[in-house]
Amino acid sequence: MKALRFRFIIIVAAIAISVYLLYPTYQDYQNTKQISQAVKNKRELLKKVNPGLSVDQLDKLLQNTSDSIKAADPSIREARMKRIKLGLDLQGGMRVVLEVNTVKLLEKLANNPDDAFKNILASAGKEASLSNESVVDLIGRKFQEKGIRLSRYFGTIRQDDSEILKDLKKQSEEAVTRAKEIIRNRVDQYGVSEPSIQLQGERRIIVELPGVAKEEEARQLLQGTALLEFKLLKEPEFTVNVMEQVDRVLAGKSLEDTSEVDSTKNVPGAKKDSSLAKNDTTKNQKLSPEQFAKEHPFFSVALINPQSQSADAYVKADQKERLLRMLAKPEVQNILNSSNAEFVLGAKPVTYQEGQGVFVLYLVNKTAELTGSVVTNANSNIDPSTSAPVVNMEMNSEGATEWARITGANINKRCAIVLDNVVYTAPVIRGKIPGGRSQIEGSTDLAEAKLLEIVLKAGALPAPVDIMEERTVGPSLGQDSISQGFNSTLFGYLLVGIFMIVYYKRAGTASALALSLVIMFILSILAYFKATLTLPGIAGIVLTIGMAVDSNVLIIERIREELATGKTMKASIDSGFSKALAAIVDSNITTMITAVILYQFGTGPVQGFALTLMIGILTSLFGALVITRVLLDFLLNKGYKITLG
Amino acid sequence: MQLFHNLKIDFMGNRKYFYLLSVSLFLLGMFNIAFRGLQFGIDFKGGTEIVVKFEKPIKIADLRTDLQSTGLGEIEIKTFGDNAGALIRTELQALPQNLFPKIQKQIEDDINSSYPAIAGKYRSEKSPNSLTYTFNDPDTASAIANKLFLDGFQSGKVSEEVTNRQVNVQVGISDWIKESLKNKVKGNSFQVLREERVGPKVGNELKRDTMIAIVLSLIGILIYLAFRYKFVFAFGAVLALFHDVLITLGLYAVLYNVIPGLNLEVNLTVVAAFLTLIGYSINDTVIVFDRVRETIKVHKTESLETLMNLAINKTMSRTIITGGTTLMSVFVLLLLGGDVLRAFAFTMFFGIIIGTYSSVFVASAIVVDYAKKYNKKVEF
Repeated sequence: MKALRFRFIIIVAAIAISVYLLYPTYQDYQNTKQISQAVKNKRELLKKVNPGLSVDQLDKLLQNTSDSIKAADPSIREARMKRIKLGLDLQGGMRVVLEVNTVKLLEKLANNPDDAFKNILASAGKEASLSNESVVDLIGRKFQEKGIRLSRYFGTIRQDDSEILKDLKKQSEEAVTRAKEIIRNRVDQYGVSEPSIQLQGERRIIVELPGVAKEEEARQLLQGTALLEFKLLKEPEFTVNVMEQVDRVLAGKSLEDTSEVDSTKNVPGAKKDSSLAKNDTTKNQKLSPEQFAKEHPFFSVALINPQSQSADAYVKADQKERLLRMLAKPEVQNILNSSNAEFVLGAKPVTYQEGQGVFVLYLVNKTAELTGSVVTNANSNIDPSTSAPVVNMEMNSEGATEWARITGANINKRCAIVLDNVVYTAPVIRGKIPGGRSQIEGSTDLAEAKLLEIVLKAGALPAPVDIMEERTVGPSLGQDSISQGFNSTLFGYLLVGIFMIVYYKRAGTASALALSLVIMFILSILAYFKATLTLPGIAGIVLTIGMAVDSNVLIIERIREELATGKTMKASIDSGFSKALAAIVDSNITTMITAVILYQFGTGPVQGFALTLMIGILTSLFGALVITRVLLDFLLNKGYKITLG
Repeated sequence: MQLFHNLKIDFMGNRKYFYLLSVSLFLLGMFNIAFRGLQFGIDFKGGTEIVVKFEKPIKIADLRTDLQSTGLGEIEIKTFGDNAGALIRTELQALPQNLFPKIQKQIEDDINSSYPAIAGKYRSEKSPNSLTYTFNDPDTASAIANKLFLDGFQSGKVSEEVTNRQVNVQVGISDWIKESLKNKVKGNSFQVLREERVGPKVGNELKRDTMIAIVLSLIGILIYLAFRYKFVFAFGAVLALFHDVLITLGLYAVLYNVIPGLNLEVNLTVVAAFLTLIGYSINDTVIVFDRVRETIKVHKTESLETLMNLAINKTMSRTIITGGTTLMSVFVLLLLGGDVLRAFAFTMFFGIIIGTYSSVFVASAIVVDYAKKYNKKVEF
């Protein structure tokens, strides 16, 4: 009796935990329904008010509506993060497998490639596309066969082949990390929710972009060459001034209204200006948040620190979209264009507040001082004298001359290192840098310095990527798949459950009940491990429904046989369970073996199938051996007659 | 309710009929595989595939004639889902070179008609998948990149640098198909449901990985069985596995393109189904053998044939019922699971029937015959 109570508690706890884990999924489902209803209403409204709106414009406006609903309530985001993740085949989106093109990279690295070199490279590339050997190895072998030393094209004359090969290998590995970083940077900017970027093998990158339907854009996003630029930051006074102008036009006030600030702007000694601006913002803090947001739309999103020397503004992650929309408005663009300025955001959050990242907003010169093509090398290191992480950067001769001029003319100003329009760092120029060798300090740790090194090299050494595989699922197909999957699971369960109840009566009812819990457990385990549910994954669940009753059938059939030998019900149940155990374990292990292998070898959706199958096997064992058993024991204890059919 | 209770069928005595049935099924399958071949899906073959759904129903035959004139060579077109959906596939990775002039003309006509002032005042360069145009000034380049994009071409500036004067137009194969559909099928707009492009290397790797996965599964099961039983039984069980997989595979060749709406191509999901089948169909065999082992301990003097019959009859109820419940759920999947899962469900459905049959009639029969031939006393 005591043992029964203990097992009973375990089951109740398991149910409670599953409900807790699955609740966000339910919540997210409700939220999505509400948002899509709101968007639908808005669409009708917009169409009525402004029938001339193009589809693109309409979509953009509606996107804003849904974004603002999502941003308004943090519980929506939270539910979304904790729900069962759906695979691309269910929610629609794009999956791209990219491979770094080593051939192109080597061509770029070679010192003076002639036709002989290009021929060898081309044939090595062709071979590599069919075999699994790396291009670098193939090249090494081919050169050896022809009796040409690698140092003719790579490295220095003193290096021997193996050294050069090692070097080239390292270069091609770095190209992969670089490509990954560039892609991550762009995907982050593109604003895809829950993107996934993973390395597979040595030189493949798998990018999954849920909900992306415009493949042209996405493809360009992944394949285009990275643009690295050096841009000078505007002076703090100037920046604050521009920010105020932007704030004013956004609030709907005209620039002329504010003669007060405008007049001070032209007065020499702009220090006064900035102190005025600071006063302005402190004064405004007395306003209620709503009023402040209305009066100062820009400053309510981009917060500036009045005490700080610099004019960097801070933007929270969930406000980024809003800010970018503000900045894209023509009246704001006018202000910026007239002063050759542009706002750029930091690539990574500088700090975290209330669980979300805070990004720095910089105002820089619109025209770049230099582009990254002048960078020849970069290296992250620990400075032996200060033991702080530093990055050393080298430039070619033209770059170095320009760089000396730029740095000489802008001492104590800051220069932003911008990759694809986001700032990685904005160090202060300490002095004139002749010779093109610069040292960049200020990275907080070596990992950050390493990232900067990757960024700097992105300009010098593009990491050309080829698309190996590309799959796009439209949202409507995904929606169809979800409902097909749901229906299959529901009817599959009903059919099997009803059969069990009809065929095995009370014992069958216990199994059917256990089966429904098994399905719930599978889903909640998926939610807990943030695993992805795919359409084949749903097939795995449906299959589990069919196979899970196997154990129950084995047990009940055994109990029947035991009863036939004249044992009591209680004794029959006991020996039925223990005798069926071996067979149950046997039959589940073989399926488990294939599921594990499938998980190892499969990709994407198929992996999802293997996963649900594995989880299904384990949970159905629990269902048959624990839940059904407890239900039967419970019935027995309460004095009910157990019918087996 | 209790079906298949107290069965006393002499399965082993009739085993030559079962052998006959199995061998003929096997030969039928192999014959078809040899002469009709297996159809591999895009996962293995590589190529480009797009699935579109039209607003109104469409005749596949009409679509075929429409697309034949696009110069893409052999295009496969099938219905997808209902009669408004179509799956279009070609094994090509890139547009054939002879199509380039045609597309180039389209692009240039577009440029020339929208900007007559610059007609002819630009250079063009070809690469396998794209065309690059160089214009006189950056602003024209930006304007044309936008214009071409709006007209349905995949165009973009070569770089975002202010001084960039080049526009790149991607002319991939799926773009050309979509473009052609747009031009040929008038008054019936479509939506792209799915688009896939798989490179030849990926397909080759997948073939290799699949072979490894299947071999590993078989080895894993052999090792497991070797621990549990003596060699004879493992031998019988694995032979039965080959029997199941090959007959089901044969069915693929037999029924390919026979049943409308059932697209029997070997793709990744189908491979997953076959691997699952391997794991599933060994179950029944294991359970029968388990019973034989148990019965041997009780009836030490009986012949192996009798013991086998006894064990099979005793477990028949369970075999039929679990096979039946799994069939039920797979049947639901076959009916309701949609196009994507249909081939998977089909494989499982017939695989389970054949697997259940083989574990009862084939695996046990092989063990009996093996024991007879070598006159061995079978031990577990």
